[in-house]
Formats: sequence, C-alpha cells, structure tokens
Amino acid sequence: MSASQSAVRSRAEAVKVSRTFDWLILFTLFFVVLGGYHVHFMLTGGDWDFWTDWKDRRLWVTVLPIVGITFPAAVQAVLWWRYRLPFGAVVAVLGLLLGEWINRYLNFWGWTYFPVNFVFPSNFMPGAIVLDVILMLTGSMTTTAVVGGLAYGLLFYPGNWPVIAPLHVPVEYNGMMMTLADLQGYHYVRTGTPEYIRMVEKGTLRTFGKDVAPVSAFFSGFVSIIIYFLWHFFGKWFGSTAFVEAA
Amino acid sequence: MKILKDKVAKLSFVALLITITAAMFYAPTASAHGEKSQAAFMRMRTIHWFDLNWSKEEVVVNDTMTISGKFFVFGGWPETVDKPDISFLNIGIPGPVFIRAGSWIGGQLVPRSVQLELGETYEFKVLLKARRPGDWHVHTMMNVKGGGPIIGPGKWVTVTGSMSSFTNPITTLTGQTIDLETYNLGNTYFWHAAWYGIGLLWLAYWCRKPLFVPRLIAVEAGKGDALITGTDKKVALGFGVGVIAIVAMSMASTNESFPITTPLQAGLLRGIKSIDMPVPTVAVKIEDATYRVPGRAMQMTMTITNNGDSAIRLGEFNTAGVRFMDAAVAQDETGYPDDLLAEEGLTVSDNSPIAPGQSRTIQVTASDAAWEVYRLADLIYDPDSRFAGLLFFYDQSGNRQMVTIDAPLIPSFI
Repeated sequence: MSASQSAVRSRAEAVKVSRTFDWLILFTLFFVVLGGYHVHFMLTGGDWDFWTDWKDRRLWVTVLPIVGITFPAAVQAVLWWRYRLPFGAVVAVLGLLLGEWINRYLNFWGWTYFPVNFVFPSNFMPGAIVLDVILMLTGSMTTTAVVGGLAYGLLFYPGNWPVIAPLHVPVEYNGMMMTLADLQGYHYVRTGTPEYIRMVEKGTLRTFGKDVAPVSAFFSGFVSIIIYFLWHFFGKWFGSTAFVEAA
Repeated sequence: MKILKDKVAKLSFVALLITITAAMFYAPTASAHGEKSQAAFMRMRTIHWFDLNWSKEEVVVNDTMTISGKFFVFGGWPETVDKPDISFLNIGIPGPVFIRAGSWIGGQLVPRSVQLELGETYEFKVLLKARRPGDWHVHTMMNVKGGGPIIGPGKWVTVTGSMSSFTNPITTLTGQTIDLETYNLGNTYFWHAAWYGIGLLWLAYWCRKPLFVPRLIAVEAGKGDALITGTDKKVALGFGVGVIAIVAMSMASTNESFPITTPLQAGLLRGIKSIDMPVPTVAVKIEDATYRVPGRAMQMTMTITNNGDSAIRLGEFNTAGVRFMDAAVAQDETGYPDDLLAEEGLTVSDNSPIAPGQSRTIQVTASDAAWEVYRLADLIYDPDSRFAGLLFFYDQSGNRQMVTIDAPLIPSFI
C-alpha cells in the first residue's frame, strides 16, 4: 500500500474506523476538559463550591455561574463551529461534575473525613443543557450568549435549591440561631479555614428585603453573558487547525 | 570486562529500585500542625494561653471532652501582625476527628468571629465530641485575620471506638430531629445522579450519530446546517422545556417540603466579656535579657518590687505555651503536656520570699530543651528581637499573681 492509497478498503470499514475515531476523540476530549475545567473551577470557585456554609444567596449565586460558564462556552465554540455538535456545554459540565465528585468523595471524605453532605459540588447541568439547546436551535453565538448566558445564571440557584434548601432549615444552638449548613461548618473543624474567611452575605444589596437571590442570579446572568462571549472566542482561537498540516 | 560492567550496572539499578520500593513502606504519620515552624515572636507576643486543661486523655467515639483555660491578648502585640480585631477561636486537630460541639469565650458561644481587645484576658472553653478513632494532637488555636493561625499548646488525646457508630443528632426549629452526619445525603445523591443522567441522555442522543470526521467534512463543504434535522430540533426543544419544567417543579416541591428556611448566618461578634483581672501588686522591671544559644537558656535580670501585703516568690515563667517552673514554689497539677513543661526549668538567683514593700534584683534563668525543640531559639532571627511572657508569683497562701513582661533580647553565641 502506497502513501497515497486509502487505509480502508470499503465504506463499511471506513464507517467503522470513523466510529472508533469518534470514541477515541470523545474519550480524550472528555478527560482533557475534565482536567482543565476542574483546575480552573477549583481556583476560581474554590471554597464557594467546597462547603455548604459558603453556598449563600448572594455571592455563591453570583460567582459560580460566572466562573462556571467559561469552559462550556469554549468547548461549544469548538464542537459547534467545526462539527455542528451541540453538546459542548453538557460534555464540559459532565466532566467537571465527575471530577468534582471524585475529588469530594476520595479527598474530602476518603482522606479527611468531611461528610459528603457538607462538601458536595454545585450542579450546573440545567444551565448547560439550556445553553446547548439554545445554540442548536438558533445557531447564533450572540443569541446563545445573551439568552443562554442569562439562563445559565438564572437556572443555577433554582437548579441547586432542592439539595441546598434542607440545609437552610434553622436551628437553635446554645442560644444562637443558625442554619444546618452553618452548623456543619462549625461542627466539622477546618483548621485552615477560619470563619472570617467565609465570604457570605456580604455586599450592599439590602433594598430587596429577603429576596436577594433572584437579583443576584440576574446580575450573575448578565456577567455570564460577557464571560460567554470571551470564552467562546477563546474556544474559537484555541480550536484552530492552523497548525495541523493538511493531508 | 564489558559483561562485568553491565552486571554491575544492572545490579545497581535493581538495588536502586529495591531502595525506592523499601522507602515506600516507611510512611510515618504526619500528625503535627506546624506549631514549631511558626515564627517564635508570633507565639511569644500575641496570645498567651494559660491555666489550660484537657478534660480527658482518652475518649470513646460519641463522648465529649473539653479544653478550657484562659488566654491573654498581649498588649505589646507585634506591629507586623494585624491586631485581633477579627479573630476566630479554632481548634488545632487534623480535620474533623472531633466535631466542635461548642466553643465559648467569656461565657458566650462563639461560632463566628469575634473582636478581641489588646491587654485583656479571656476565659474560654471548647467542647469536642469524638468522631474518628486514633491518637490526635489537640491544640488550642486562635485565627487572627491578617495574622494567620496562632497555635497554642497541644496534647495527645486518644479516641477509641468506631467512626461508623458516630451520630450527630440535631433538632431543628421546625421540630425535626436529624443526624447531621448523614442528613440530606440521599437527596443530594438523587438530584446529582438525576441531572447527570439527563446530561448523559443528551450526550447519548448525539453520540448515536457519526461525530467528528463526517461532520467536519460536511461543515467544511458548507453543508453544516443539513446536519441538524427536524427531529434533532424537536428533541432539543423537548430537553430545553423539560429542563426548565423540572427545575421549576423541583423548586416548588422543595419549597413545599421546606417552607421555613433562613439565610446563612454571618457577622462579627463584638463585646466579648473579658476577665476582670486584679491589678497586680508586683512590679517587674527587666534590666536585661539574653538568650545563650549554646546553653539553650534565657537569662534575665529583673528588679521585682512587692507592693502588696504578703511576701511573694517567683514560681513560673510562661512563654509560647512553654512553662518554666521553680518546683520549690509551684508545680503543675493539671497534666500539662510533658514536652511543654519544664518542671525545674526556672532557676532564680535568690528566690526567698520578697517581703511587702521590698525590692530585689535577681537573675532568672529559664532553660530547657524546649527552647530548641519548639524552635523558640529562632527568636534571634526574627525581625523584632524582643521576647515576652507571663510571670506567675505566689504568696505563702498559694495566691497567684500574673505579671506580663516584654523586653528586648540580646543573643549570646559564646
């Protein structure tokens, strides 16, 4: 067989090779994204995602969608514009969640014995699916950024509420009121994380009474729009094939 | 000759491998908290812990123990460390091997950060409930914002039993009693698994079709739009609407199940009550102080004036949690950690009772291996070469007076 001849001899064989190639690429993509997104998210989301007593209605709601829309936007840019595959956001979030769960279960629980109900990760899946769906239906980066980015911010809090709400039930403890999440943070000693490091319920958003979570979610959605644009372009730039020699 | 060289090389390589493998079997437990690495001046001139008591040395899982005592917030707080305006009474243990069932300063529960005043003495107590079996070094600890963790004395405590039997029952304000150790765990797993499953379904829908090579060819040929079929759009719409519906319904049902929820609680606790310490009737003036490096001893010349109405003797010098004692005057009866206790580490040139109204200049030597073991000797390398500590004087009735000292320190290398 010369170099100019095809490696496959029939259409069936070509399809088989193509499918094998699909799985190889998907597997590699999944774990590369998992690694990159996980590191990025640990560095930027960090404690807000690690501990339930950081998951408040102001900063957790605001910060996490903003730092979490990054890789979904970039992976979408590569998969959509090159392959018309609308699962970039979902595959990124699947990777992140798998990485986070491995980390929380093996490290936080397995090595240091923090209970899993104190250290479980945040869930981005509703926003990711909506982001993919909007990109697919509109085929527009701008619409996906504006509508999808906003939805990504807005869906985060209600998407996590079924898991978080039980931990926001109040408890009276030795004469003080706190939530069960606060109590977890107090009971399960973190020597290197004193209470004052906790960034919760800070800010000047005091004119909306107790309903600050929706306002925070809207603000998060607006910033997520900008971050989506930025990271979508990153995806396009880094998804270039300019350095790959054509056959 | 070459064969011999090859053999030697091979054997050397095998020996190296065996050595590395053998090294893996030596994995000592890292059980310290870096207390010895903290700058000496941080430990000597910030928080002085004293009258400490660990209620138990052995405790069974689910049983409790307390660490109680007092701490003095040193008035000569170093400039290089932020003031303790925002501080948190912590506990130095290797993760949640105990849970902190309660902590109090001046009788007030302190689950949050507090403001401490320089020059004040506070009483504290930490209630711990054993969770994980093992031998644990349990330290007192004060975190100071801008200053870092200021770790106090530690004592080994053994926890026996089984962690699987640990429970943490809590009754909420809605009247429900839960075990915080496992509460909400099934719900968390359920929702995460459900959403992960939905994500996988979305991925699986697209993975049924050829993915990369044929689609790349089609897109590059300008036929990208043809890759999305009408069915794809209907399925996508179904996913989109379905996701929003699930989110809305799950939120509504959650609100129905948990109608009463409150925000996380945060904020600084001010007005922590300090102890009204009696004004000491003993005045101490440090004439000079040197640290003799070869002898691992601090020598101080001090003038003591007794302004009280009973004769007093110097019984103890306490700095950075190390207690140098004159056994003829005072002895520890609290089971203080051995490595921090120099029972006969305090030598006084003339420790006969100082009568009321009398003034005496004496030489005091505090010597013990603890200077080296606890790296307090590193004080000579600190940016502000001063030392500080507490002196305890006793009268014949056993009454105690505490006097703070703070003075420059001159190292002696010969």
